[in-house]
Amino acid sequence: MIEFVYVGIFYAILAIILLFRVLKGPSVVDRAVAGDSIDILTAVALISFAVFSNRSIYLDIALVIAILGFIGTVLIARYLEGRL
Amino acid sequence: MNSIVILNSLILIGIIISAILTVKFDNLLSSIIALGITGAFVALEFILLHAPDVAIAEAAVGAVLSPVIFIITLKKVKEGKER
Repeated sequence: MIEFVYVGIFYAILAIILLFRVLKGPSVVDRAVAGDSIDILTAVALISFAVFSNRSIYLDIALVIAILGFIGTVLIARYLEGRL
Repeated sequence: MNSIVILNSLILIGIIISAILTVKFDNLLSSIIALGITGAFVALEFILLHAPDVAIAEAAVGAVLSPVIFIITLKKVKEGKER
């Protein structure tokens, strides 16, 4: 059951690689897309840790992060459009 | 147990990098995006420390509610007009 921790480590490495896109994005839109991807990868790593530890309350936090991260990205896009 | 230590170290590196980016950006909207990323990493770290209720509160408040409040504030101040 330790292999799911390896999967979580892989997704954490991918999230840290996406931080360099946040650092070197030419515009704000690139940073917004990278932030949404980091939210999704965080949720996937958290699901892997939930399977590792046999505990189903950790899935609720993944659900909250997935739904509300989408709402935050939609509000950033609405602000950039100018119709907030 | 060693793999859990490696995962904790990676998440802490992500928290440090995103917090430094939050302070050092010049554009305010980019700084708000980095703040939301910091909240997501901190929620994952609370999960790794076996505190699920604190992590639910952090994911609701730190990752979404604070950036939304700051975006509405930035709209009302009209500082980010350069886009």
